Amino acid sequence: MTREPASVPGFAGIAGPGRELAEDLVFHAFQARFLEDRVRTLSTAGEVDPCWSSFTVDVRAMVMARAMRSTADGSGDLCYPGGHAPGPALAFGATPLEFLRHMASRSTSPGGAREGGLSWTDTRRGLIGWGGRSGRMTQVLAGAALAFRRREENRAALAFEGRDALDSGGWHEGMNLAGAVRAPLIVVVDAEGSDFASPASDARAVAGGYGFAFDTIGQDPFEDLMRTVAAARRRAVEGTGPTLLQLGPRSDSQPWALHDGFLESAADQWGLAGPRLERIERAARAGVDHAVARLDQEPSPDPPDALVRVLTDAEPQSPWTRRDPPAPGPPEMSRPGTAHVH
Amino acid sequence: MSTEVPAHVSRSRAAEPVTLLEAISEALWEEMERDERVILMGEDIGAYGGAFKVTRGFLDHFGAGRVIDTPISEGGFTGAAAGAAHMGLRPVVEMQFMDFISPAYDVLTNYVATSLYRGAGPMPLVVRGPVGGGSRGGPFHSQNVEMAFFHTPGLKIVYPSNPRDAKGLLKAAIRDDNPVIFEEHKGLYRAPGCREVLPRQDYVVPLGVARTALEGDDLTIVTYGLMVHRSLEAAAELARDGIRPEVVDLRTLLPLDEDAIAASVRKTGKLLIVHEDTRTGGIAGEIAIRMNECAFEWLDGPILRVTAIDSPVPFSGVLEDYFLPSVEDIVTAARYLVKY
Repeated sequence: MTREPASVPGFAGIAGPGRELAEDLVFHAFQARFLEDRVRTLSTAGEVDPCWSSFTVDVRAMVMARAMRSTADGSGDLCYPGGHAPGPALAFGATPLEFLRHMASRSTSPGGAREGGLSWTDTRRGLIGWGGRSGRMTQVLAGAALAFRRREENRAALAFEGRDALDSGGWHEGMNLAGAVRAPLIVVVDAEGSDFASPASDARAVAGGYGFAFDTIGQDPFEDLMRTVAAARRRAVEGTGPTLLQLGPRSDSQPWALHDGFLESAADQWGLAGPRLERIERAARAGVDHAVARLDQEPSPDPPDALVRVLTDAEPQSPWTRRDPPAPGPPEMSRPGTAHVH
Repeated sequence: MSTEVPAHVSRSRAAEPVTLLEAISEALWEEMERDERVILMGEDIGAYGGAFKVTRGFLDHFGAGRVIDTPISEGGFTGAAAGAAHMGLRPVVEMQFMDFISPAYDVLTNYVATSLYRGAGPMPLVVRGPVGGGSRGGPFHSQNVEMAFFHTPGLKIVYPSNPRDAKGLLKAAIRDDNPVIFEEHKGLYRAPGCREVLPRQDYVVPLGVARTALEGDDLTIVTYGLMVHRSLEAAAELARDGIRPEVVDLRTLLPLDEDAIAASVRKTGKLLIVHEDTRTGGIAGEIAIRMNECAFEWLDGPILRVTAIDSPVPFSGVLEDYFLPSVEDIVTAARYLVKY
């Protein structure tokens, strides 16, 4: 199924996002929240590494990702969900079970339990997972966007970075390159992310320096937010240039304030309240509960099988002590022939 | 865009001898003609044609969409190349000098090399560039970088010694679905004694397969790159004493052709490893332990090595000549080993 961006006729310029899209957004918002709750529980039980126990869910990230063009056949937009993993990834077709498999190191996980974290790569669905130093993924997505540009495709890349990206040399290298080649790229920096030395605190100035358009996203109505991203995507695919979006503050003391505000919007503007809203909530919760139940049945990885995928055409050697258990005494070795006498 | 094919990328088609540098250019050109997914990225590779002119004329012919001049940010453009590879392109990244690959160490070892392992798919990416001493480049333009990456699972490392191998190995590297670090010794780029007529037709040299550069049975010299030529010079001198070394040119360092080394060691019973890279942590150590594991019973002497000194590459000619392994060093070690 192809989900067209919010900029296509039928979405742009209308008062509401349309019933199907509104229900999708609310459904994914609920799922992201329930997932975070369950991951916290799993972390407490030792099933998931505690360092991944918080997604720092921000419902705006899910809404922004929904403004992109998502497909399941490798022809759609690309998204690096970053620390906002569940919302954007769900918007790009990921499922709660995939998240749980990934984070609980099941052999069925996208990375075969060889790698964990908040996100994974599935290029057919347009998902690129985290890999390395802060800011790295802006470089990677700039190159992916370069490929879109080279093939003149109607595709763009969306990267969610923490505020610390502004302090990372690698991020600036990616921004510089993306600006220089006018890559169809949208970068979102989260003003609430961690903050180190802050040599570049003014994101607007940074954007200007690298030839990016710039906008801020605060507590705007969610439809405005979709329109902002849709406009950035339009600029990107038209070759006008990349865009840097700065995501405004959230409240640490009320982590679900935005989420609750989103549901209020859904009720006020889209009529998703009462039994309709409860039905969506039940469906979202059932999906997450089902995934948690399934997780118990998912196998752990088998090391000899799991650790062979390092190169496409060669397998790593396991230690000889595991290939051939040693007999007592010196290891048996074939002896050279008598001809080998010097 | 120009349809003209520059002379330096078409000498083999005219059955003319080529230098190692021209062999590299030909490989890139032919692969770009063969496969439109192949793109080049690097500093000054477009309008300027590269610091060593490997890509001279490429921009006019293939256009700025495939020959991409990048900012001076090795980490950034290598990361971008990884993104392009995710999206189905086959990028070839040029390091102006391989000494400058160090800013890209993070992305190469943490991201590129782990792509398949992490489930992020194959990573068809080549990082190529000039290495090696002897040209008075000093510590920032003369390093051999293979061992900085040798320890990283998920990478391949190639280091050719002659034009024929350079062209065939680079083509194989570009067609490979794994990331490849491709080292080109500057001292061989235009060396008069390193020109040869290459096959006119398309060919590849498979990665991971060593070759016997010289057959012999008194000792095995395992080496690669410029040191193949030094070892062959040493072999000529040893021949005057009736000593016949076998010289094995590794061609690919990762994966290492352990079988070829072992086969030669089983034949000669003596092993000398020669590399231009510095001594400690050099590839000689890995080869020695592997032969200890699989050919110990055939060894009739200690495994020896001739390497550069554990020092940054000096600038002064006097110092650099002292720093680098010489023909005399190889001859001395070989004589000692044969008499052992």
